[in-house]
Amino acid sequence: MMPIIEFDNVSFSYGENTLLDGLDAEIHAHDCIALVGRNGIGKTTLLRLAAGILTPDSGKVRLNNAPLPSLKHREIARSIAFVPQNVEIPFSFTVEQFVEQGRTPFIKMFGGLSATDREAIERAMELTDTCSLRSRIFTELSGGERQRVKIALGLAQQPQLLLLDEPMQHLDIGRQFEMIDLMGSLRKQGITLFASMHDLALIEGVFPTVWLLSQNEAMRQGSPQEMLQPKVLEDAFNCPPRHRPRLVEHTRNRMEFAI
Amino acid sequence: MVSEVTRAQTSVAHRKATDRRQHLLLACLIALLLLAMMVAAGMGAVPVPLGLLAKSAVGLSQLSDDQRTILVAIRLPRILAAALVGSGLSVSGLLFQGLFRNPLADPYVIGSSGGALLGASLGVFLLPAVSIAGFGTTALLAFIGAVGSIVLVYWLASVNGRTPVVALLLAGFAVSTMLSYSSYFLEVLDHDFGQGMHVLSSWLHGTIAQPTWPQLAIVSGMLVLGLIGSAPLARRLNTLALGEEYATHLGISVQQTRIGVIVIGSILTAAAVALGGLISFTGLIIPHILRMILGPDHVRLLPATALAGALFLVIADTAARTIIAPAELPVGVLTAFIGGPFFLYLLRKARREVQL
Repeated sequence: MMPIIEFDNVSFSYGENTLLDGLDAEIHAHDCIALVGRNGIGKTTLLRLAAGILTPDSGKVRLNNAPLPSLKHREIARSIAFVPQNVEIPFSFTVEQFVEQGRTPFIKMFGGLSATDREAIERAMELTDTCSLRSRIFTELSGGERQRVKIALGLAQQPQLLLLDEPMQHLDIGRQFEMIDLMGSLRKQGITLFASMHDLALIEGVFPTVWLLSQNEAMRQGSPQEMLQPKVLEDAFNCPPRHRPRLVEHTRNRMEFAI
Repeated sequence: MVSEVTRAQTSVAHRKATDRRQHLLLACLIALLLLAMMVAAGMGAVPVPLGLLAKSAVGLSQLSDDQRTILVAIRLPRILAAALVGSGLSVSGLLFQGLFRNPLADPYVIGSSGGALLGASLGVFLLPAVSIAGFGTTALLAFIGAVGSIVLVYWLASVNGRTPVVALLLAGFAVSTMLSYSSYFLEVLDHDFGQGMHVLSSWLHGTIAQPTWPQLAIVSGMLVLGLIGSAPLARRLNTLALGEEYATHLGISVQQTRIGVIVIGSILTAAAVALGGLISFTGLIIPHILRMILGPDHVRLLPATALAGALFLVIADTAARTIIAPAELPVGVLTAFIGGPFFLYLLRKARREVQL
């Protein structure tokens, strides 16, 4: 099966700082991948490369077999939605107006929103359970609500692949579980997910696949059981001695309790 | 399933209500603008009663020759000029606010009026002979001046694609002051041109000059061009509010939008400055008030801003020329009195809401 996104020998660096070196990986339809690694290792960079916001220094990123630079942003945005960590808007747009922006790649220069666009917007708000927030002002929402509305904007693009940059950040434990439920239901809808995750305790039970970025080493892929082992994490996160991260068993109990 | 249908219906109903409110507002603004223009036409040293004016408009009654001359040669051009200036300043204010992602931007505050003024002054002082219809070069040079000053201010004030309030205001203030006073410099260089000096002084105070009909035609053309050009920009500015990187991801060409806003905004500023000089804060107040009524959607705001700006300045200019009759107050003085406190209020509010 043809991958949605293919990273082919991708390297990227900011000045002297090499983040990715010869990365090979593929994202297929119905995948649900958590991207982990220590701060500054290049998680957001990898997401941006997948969205065509950044271009690799060498190597190719392909979307449905077409190299990203050969596609217009409009075309990419119809297949890939990138939900950034922070969105700051200076004006008081309502939630509905905010989600409408997800239709931008489909609107003609002088056109307005069509019935198809409206349907996509409604569907996105239903999936994220944000219909009741419709007339609220985006900037006045709580962190959890804001996160769901941002995902609604991404879903309004009707993408093949949804990229989430730290979707759990700044959420309290209750809102984190809401977000886990939301991701579960998105998966059931057949939406392909690729999310950078800071909190490792939230991965198991939601994401069947983990991509682990570590310094001076090729990226590793595997199940949460394989990737979230204390030894693996200790190396990847460069933990100080005597602080062995023991996540898996601990988390499994916690998650079973939660779900 | 039922709830989904209900939700969709609520959404449609809600949108229709917003559409209705917008249409009602536009209709009110058109009616008020026409009324204000009629009342303004009647006011002055030779009063023309509103009833007589209305009757003569539909052919039921005749105006005296004096009244006709005063209306056609003096008052109507002045009133139309005020409407064009108000419209131009307000719409360019709206566009700049969208581009800078900053509700405090305004052609006067960010220095594009100052640039237009310097350009226009160059036209009046140095190139009076090459002007077309006494006006063409002035408007063109005003446009060039406006573009130059915005590009400069934008370059000075932007940090990673954002323009913080303080940086924008400081850069705008510095550039605007330098440019306005450069115009004084021209005056000193060229004191033989009595006419030019008079024009410059009225521009600096923000007086709407008595325009000729060909001048009005040129400025109307610029305004229409500007309004047509703004239409495709409005939706892009909504998306640009999400930030440059996000807007790019969604398929908006930020560079094209930026150039579009600078060119169109400068055409509108130049049109306004060529007729009225430095009129402060209009481009700030009008979009802000409409945003409170219609919300921040630029597509909805655009037509309403054009009409409300015209209405505001027709009223302000009529007040300026009648309050202390027979003397006249420059309308720029009046808008500064109204707009200054309003601007400070917004600045305080912005300080509380957004960290500077």
